[in-house]
Amino acid sequence: MLWIKNVTVIDPGQGVSGVNDVLVQKDKIVEVGPSFKAKEVLVKLGVTDINEVNQIDGDGKYLFPGLIDVHVHLREPGQEDKEDIASGSRAAIRGGFTSIMAMANTFPIVDQRAVVEFIKLQARRAGMARVYPISAVTKGFKGQELVEMMDIKDGGAVGFSDDGKGIQNAEIMRLALEYVKLTGCPIISHCEDEALASKGVMRRGRTSARLGLPGIPASSESVMVARDILLAAETGGKLHIAHVSTKESVEMIRWAKGKGIDLSAEVNPHHLIFTDEDITLTDTSYKVNPPLPSREDQEALLEGIIDGTIDMLATDHAPHTWEEKARPFQEAPFGINGLETSLAAVWQKLVQSGKLTPEKLVECWSLNPAQRFGIEGGTLKPGSLADMVLFDPLYKEEISTEAMESKSGNTPFLKKELQGFPVITWVEGRMLMKNRKII
Amino acid sequence: MKWKPKDLLDLDNLTTEEIEHILQTAKPMREILSRPIKKLPTLRGKSVVLLFYESSTRTRTSFESAAKILGADTTNFTVAQSSITKGESLLDTAKTIQAMNVDLVVVRHSSSGAADFLADTLKASVINGGDGQHAHPTQALLDLFTIQERIGDIKGKKVVIVGDIIHSRVARSNAIGLQKMGADVTLVGPPTLLPTEMSYLGIKLSHDLDKELPGADVVMALRLQLERQQSGLFPSIREYSKLYGLSVDRIKKTGKQTIVMHPGPMNRGVEIASDLADSVQSVIEKQVTNGVAIRMALIYLLIGGGTGNVVD
Repeated sequence: MLWIKNVTVIDPGQGVSGVNDVLVQKDKIVEVGPSFKAKEVLVKLGVTDINEVNQIDGDGKYLFPGLIDVHVHLREPGQEDKEDIASGSRAAIRGGFTSIMAMANTFPIVDQRAVVEFIKLQARRAGMARVYPISAVTKGFKGQELVEMMDIKDGGAVGFSDDGKGIQNAEIMRLALEYVKLTGCPIISHCEDEALASKGVMRRGRTSARLGLPGIPASSESVMVARDILLAAETGGKLHIAHVSTKESVEMIRWAKGKGIDLSAEVNPHHLIFTDEDITLTDTSYKVNPPLPSREDQEALLEGIIDGTIDMLATDHAPHTWEEKARPFQEAPFGINGLETSLAAVWQKLVQSGKLTPEKLVECWSLNPAQRFGIEGGTLKPGSLADMVLFDPLYKEEISTEAMESKSGNTPFLKKELQGFPVITWVEGRMLMKNRKII
Repeated sequence: MKWKPKDLLDLDNLTTEEIEHILQTAKPMREILSRPIKKLPTLRGKSVVLLFYESSTRTRTSFESAAKILGADTTNFTVAQSSITKGESLLDTAKTIQAMNVDLVVVRHSSSGAADFLADTLKASVINGGDGQHAHPTQALLDLFTIQERIGDIKGKKVVIVGDIIHSRVARSNAIGLQKMGADVTLVGPPTLLPTEMSYLGIKLSHDLDKELPGADVVMALRLQLERQQSGLFPSIREYSKLYGLSVDRIKKTGKQTIVMHPGPMNRGVEIASDLADSVQSVIEKQVTNGVAIRMALIYLLIGGGTGNVVD
């Protein structure tokens, strides 16, 4: 039993935003309300001795519903040198995420029920963040035949995505959006036209020209966003656009929502914080796909979040080993490690600077993901699972691989100090992280 | 002046004085090249590794000659005979070289940034012998030297660079170097090979060669990689040559005794006609000779201590 006192609760799910007390019994939230008295607490929790209640002073701190990350790569099965389900779900807890959705580009690819069930089993063994598997759309990511969507959904998948690779054949995408209606789950589209992206390694523009690096034009994403929106409109299938990074994509998503198309979209923190101009030839931690955007794109992305065009924040946590990233820029793999730095980075760069409210952050990183993907969490309403994050806006930390739970350290924030970190994370009422360390 | 940089990666991080100092140092080197006995003891005991991941004849030979004339020992690390073909990473290759206590590594690599990557890793000096589409500083320096030698002060001279600009490390490094030396540079090519993002250089971009030729003191043709036609970047070699190929007739449009340059190897009859390549206006062979002098100057400045008098 838990009594968190005087904490600033941010819970857009029940319109709460202010200093409150929070009561938890076993795995559920009991009540959120202004300063309870000890006697009331005893009654509400149905106990006789106040010493049975763990009391935490939340003064000066925030309490968020546990964050939900709809886009992570846990690398297991197959690439456990980069990450595994245990290390990735520990990293999630340390970063304030109580639920994560794991992408399907593992080896083997998640295109059968057995693999989905294996991931769920490994996550249960780890006992950290709840892990929701995402299945491939097409067998072997080949873009040719659909996976057994119904069987896989029954095995526990919450969405379908060939993330890491765009589905190039429009007819296959159309069929996927039709067939997925059986499941009620969304297709999560990695929008990338391979012919346009070609051998590019960063956003095409003046910086790519200066560095002599092959560029990926913004159109390589935007044309696929346009295509998939039209296909979603035609089929009525549920669509979620992963890692939106261009202003044209934002404009089309805005248009589509105006038309009532069943569509949601996410943006990655690194696209809101860095631009192509930050890239140098010798720091491959900035190499990511979709590539870091132009400044105008970045402004459009932020505007999209503020006006609700973009529904979610998602890390696209993509761990890679040190050796893989210790290569010339052109040869290093794409991906940024995000679970343990993203909340702090977004807090410091966007919330502290007044560009984003704490309410919006929680809406985009907890409430909306839960609602869109039909998973538990997202709010601290009485009766909900006690997935919670106690967040200290003053806590400073220098990012280091020693402290990180992830097996990889491929983040542009390495050796840099960030401010604003989760200090306690609870999943279903169990305290799994305290003072920045997994318990 | 006292020479400070440890590496030569590109011209954008050199000051104009440093560029001038290199060109100045290359002058006595050029003189040594015309001596009957081309050998100096200056860098005796110093070791230079030539790490070439891309095929190259003139650049590698040029560096090798330059190092040997100065008395340094050279080792060739070529892809086909090394552990690179066994899958060794550039980082491990670099560490291996480091462990051999070499003084200078000259690297050519198909990835942009490979030289910067090595310089970050190695204690030895690094010279970029061409990295991907990024930079080819020694080519640019030898071009500056050649222009100076032929027409004097570069400041205010009109230079036209024509060809596959976007894929060209030669064009990038030359544009930067020429700008620093005060030249008026125009880049010319079809829109597919000279896209708008090249505007980062802050110089004139044009798709019309004939319009840019009048008044040009220097015209530089770039090598056209013929495979690019198959990827759709231009319709045919015939049309490319018609629009952007240099010839004796076309070069008359400059109205000057323009000098004509090419970094080699040439596609005769494509970007440059044989009549022009072999004419008195062509300085293509001079570029090769000066390349050795420039590389001698650089090797001397980077590992020769940068002091003392190289010429006895």
